[in-house]
Amino acid sequence: MSDALLIADAVSKKFGGVQAVDRVSIEVGRGSIHAVIGPNGAGKTTFFNTLSGFFFPDSGTVRFDGADITNEPNWRRIGRGMSRTFQTPSIFPDLSVHQNLLIGTQAKRGVAFRLTLPNAKQRDEIEARVDELLGFVGLAAAKSRTVSELSHGSQRLVEIAMSLSTDPKLVLLDEPMAGLAEAETDRVISVIRDLHDRLGLTVLFVEHNMRVVLSLAHRITVLDRGRLLAEGSPAEIAADVAVRDAYLGKEVIEHV
Amino acid sequence: MNRNRGIIAGLAVLVVLAFGPWIGGIVHIDTSFLSEVLLTAIAAMGVNILLGYTGLPIFGNAALFGLGAYGAGLSIKNLHVGFVVAILLGIAAALVGALIIAPFLLRRRNIYFGLLSLAFGQVFYFIAYRYSDVTGGEDGMSFARPPIALGPLHGAVDETGMYYITYALFAIAIVSFWLIVRSPFGKTLVAIKQNELRVRYLGLNADRFILVGILIAAVYAGLAGALYGLLLRFAFPLLLDWHESGDFILMTMLGGAGTIFGPLVGAIIFVIGKDIISTITPAWEIFLGGFFIACVLGFPKGILGSIGDALARGRVTAEPAEELVPAVAIDQARATIQSDSVQ
Repeated sequence: MSDALLIADAVSKKFGGVQAVDRVSIEVGRGSIHAVIGPNGAGKTTFFNTLSGFFFPDSGTVRFDGADITNEPNWRRIGRGMSRTFQTPSIFPDLSVHQNLLIGTQAKRGVAFRLTLPNAKQRDEIEARVDELLGFVGLAAAKSRTVSELSHGSQRLVEIAMSLSTDPKLVLLDEPMAGLAEAETDRVISVIRDLHDRLGLTVLFVEHNMRVVLSLAHRITVLDRGRLLAEGSPAEIAADVAVRDAYLGKEVIEHV
Repeated sequence: MNRNRGIIAGLAVLVVLAFGPWIGGIVHIDTSFLSEVLLTAIAAMGVNILLGYTGLPIFGNAALFGLGAYGAGLSIKNLHVGFVVAILLGIAAALVGALIIAPFLLRRRNIYFGLLSLAFGQVFYFIAYRYSDVTGGEDGMSFARPPIALGPLHGAVDETGMYYITYALFAIAIVSFWLIVRSPFGKTLVAIKQNELRVRYLGLNADRFILVGILIAAVYAGLAGALYGLLLRFAFPLLLDWHESGDFILMTMLGGAGTIFGPLVGAIIFVIGKDIISTITPAWEIFLGGFFIACVLGFPKGILGSIGDALARGRVTAEPAEELVPAVAIDQARATIQSDSVQ
């Protein structure tokens, strides 16, 4: 029995005539930081969406923590210990930072469906957990601010804290650095590293920025035109000629 | 402090309403008319929980309201039930109607939810209209107002009695509404309005919350409809019609969707305004329409919603501008790791 937390086997997804993801497999080891990279249109986000239940794959299987979750609704996967963020932070824009974290925290404690207020002990537990999560991402001072007023980088951190509010085992991050300024990027890198180092979580992330990928990932999966191109350690991927041609080559062309 | 002010204002409104018939006597407004204001506000509260708090435009709400009226009326006519049971069966009729349409409504959101609910509402309207053996068809259906027998309350219900029964149920409705929107459930509804996808990715089945929201709306609509039937001693198909639904939506938005007392304010202005203007001119709809346009321009979030925003703007001045704790202050360990990683 391998020690993989998430296993996708030959996952495919087609949109109209476009084979967005073509028989891609991945094994994300427990306690690892795993990156998915590839040029624009490589199918990274589509692949991510099949893993997180945003939609279901046409074929192939997805297993999480020993269970087949291929066609399980997204909200049920969260209960199993999966969580995710989106390229554009998916938050509650008009609510306070506190309220943003409250929803998932009370959901995890099984009181979200209650029509009466939780008792004082539960409330204290929930509030303590919200404070802990805000402290973790360094947003304690922004607790009462409306999220839409915060900078893009802080909104990203709110979203990461929200994804932690459900006590996940695996965090999926879809381009966590998208749209961030350089200083904000460093901050998010350190938070992602802490997800692993301090919280012991497994992290799978999609990223364009090679500096970020090489500084964080233990293992890298490379996609190109919907197919699995290579997989290996950062050193192996950096040395891989096919990757350099497909990925770095295209990047250069894009920038010319 | 702010919450306490809200509670005091709410209690003050309930105290004033307790003197409704007396105040109505002074300003020459019928007591039965005041009952209509309160029960209309109850129905609009049901719209508010979906439209104002969950972000779902329920355009078929009048069907649930009408089911309440027919449910009460048919049970009085055919089962000879008393006052209290008639109300309970009115609510039950609305709940059954909601349970029939909810599985379909749950598959749609936004305007499509609204249009689908409107279509289902019209189906119920045509059933009431066509199935005349039971409903009396276009002519409607009249029935007696049965005597009440509930603890110390017993005997025939006159117009003042009808007002106080409506008033008591209104008070219960608004206090439960306040409790619901403060509960974890209510906060989750607001989160669904903000971003349903995120609610799902916090591990919650949003459909379950919306279903309960629809059923709560049905209880409010059914209760209001049953009271209206008992007030008029009459039920007729137009109660279920989409015009009626539009009125509920209008008054909710006018008073302030997403506020607790918005539906009451909207119902007062709508029901009384319609009555006053229609005694002055037969073209009352033009003037009422103009008034609504002025309100939408002046109070984009409804009267109470816009006033609440203005008050909040006045308060938020001393908030800290700094959103992030300086990186060094968070954690020495993290600072070390961070400096290692940035080559």
